[in-house]
Amino acid sequence: MPRLIRAEFRKLVTTRLWLWLLLASAAWTAGYNALAIGLSQRSGSLTPPLSTAAGQHALFAIGAGGAGPLAAILAAAGVAGEYRHRTAAATFLATPRRARVITAKLITYLLAGAGYALVCCAINVAIALPWLAAMGIPVSLAGHGNLAVLGAIIISTALFALTGAGLGALLGSEVPTIAGLLLYLYVAEPLISHVAPLQAWTRYLPGVAADGLTQAAQAGVRLLAPWLGGVVFAAWALAVAAAGLRCTMRRDIT
Amino acid sequence: MLSGLTKRFGRVTAVDGLSFTAAPGLVTGFLGPNGAGKTTALRMLAGLVIPDAGTATIGGHRYAALALPGRQAGVVLEAAGFHPARTGRDHLRVYCTASGYPLRRADEVLEACGLSAAGRRKVRGYSLGMRQRLALATALLGDPAALVLDEPANGLDPAGIAWLRGLLREHARSGGTVLYSSHVLAEVEQIADHVVIMNRGRLVRHGPLTELTSGQGGLEHVFLALTTEEAQP
Repeated sequence: MPRLIRAEFRKLVTTRLWLWLLLASAAWTAGYNALAIGLSQRSGSLTPPLSTAAGQHALFAIGAGGAGPLAAILAAAGVAGEYRHRTAAATFLATPRRARVITAKLITYLLAGAGYALVCCAINVAIALPWLAAMGIPVSLAGHGNLAVLGAIIISTALFALTGAGLGALLGSEVPTIAGLLLYLYVAEPLISHVAPLQAWTRYLPGVAADGLTQAAQAGVRLLAPWLGGVVFAAWALAVAAAGLRCTMRRDIT
Repeated sequence: MLSGLTKRFGRVTAVDGLSFTAAPGLVTGFLGPNGAGKTTALRMLAGLVIPDAGTATIGGHRYAALALPGRQAGVVLEAAGFHPARTGRDHLRVYCTASGYPLRRADEVLEACGLSAAGRRKVRGYSLGMRQRLALATALLGDPAALVLDEPANGLDPAGIAWLRGLLREHARSGGTVLYSSHVLAEVEQIADHVVIMNRGRLVRHGPLTELTSGQGGLEHVFLALTTEEAQP
């Protein structure tokens, strides 16, 4: 298994997609921080007041947490791309035990997602801490439970990547997988999660549960408690991964 | 070795009770018109397509049950299956890692397949012949005992075809098994020891090339007679 994980990492780093998506994640983190902190003194700011715990949690969770969907795209492209580029045949010829291949992919992208989150958390902290301090707002990693939020972001981003990898294995087709991910995360789920009467249920949806885990609070959306959000999101990710594994076992590579 | 191998796609039976054995030390040419089921049969042999009935084994084991698949069988299915943005050398190194071969095997097979100069270029810029060579290089990584090749000459230039012929002959002479499909009958006549002919999913002829063509007008005549006669209801 370590051999197969090394092979998957070699696949990942021998094309450039990982780098572009990491740069996009970093740009989102930096851009969101610049806007949220820059506009924090005006009316209509992006987060709750940044002197509060809720404000600081949102700053980290939405800033560094932006890596989640991009990590999911990286993983989906990596797994479903094997069918698009027809490399699946060579991969399953080298390792006919397909369950081992898919398990190696799931672990690889789980780790890659955690790596994305680490980079984005570091950028987020490097921007937010000195800037807020210069504005006279007391902020520290240890204060307001910020460290727990950063930890939750790493778990959440890793689970996003796991979900993307599982979905890629399930659908086996790169473009529909990525289009589906984007439509769901950026259109369907935001729409439905803002419908007040449904929120008792919609907070269990994967992306909303992930927001519960990291406490990425948005106005008008009810979130689960972090631990419950984490459990629910992990259950979704594992269910999709298991479905992807099962589908791969039965797929004809033609 | 294939035994009673059957695969249906929806209502179409692509391969219907196919049985034959490709013996070690011989080059077996695998022939049939387009849509006869050759590729599906080879993909079942390689464990990529799951048969509805029958078995396909290499050295007595299904591909998926081989302990060291890359050492027991090298499979070339098409001159595709490369990420366009990955270099040929990196493609090979990925599979070296997956199979536990030393990374220098990648450079060795690039050299053996005449791709040393192109190895560090992205596959996007490869010609069809170069892709075919890279597919062969991937199959050769594990120095396999058997070679299973689906139209490996497709896209190769005359020098490439001569090189491939030498490679396959040498492989059979050193005791390896070679099973390869082709549409180029003249090519098959030059190199195959045994010939398997398929039509509409079924085996229509299997035997030594010399026996098949003796007293008749060459392989093309036999092939056309068998495959068009069988096509009649």
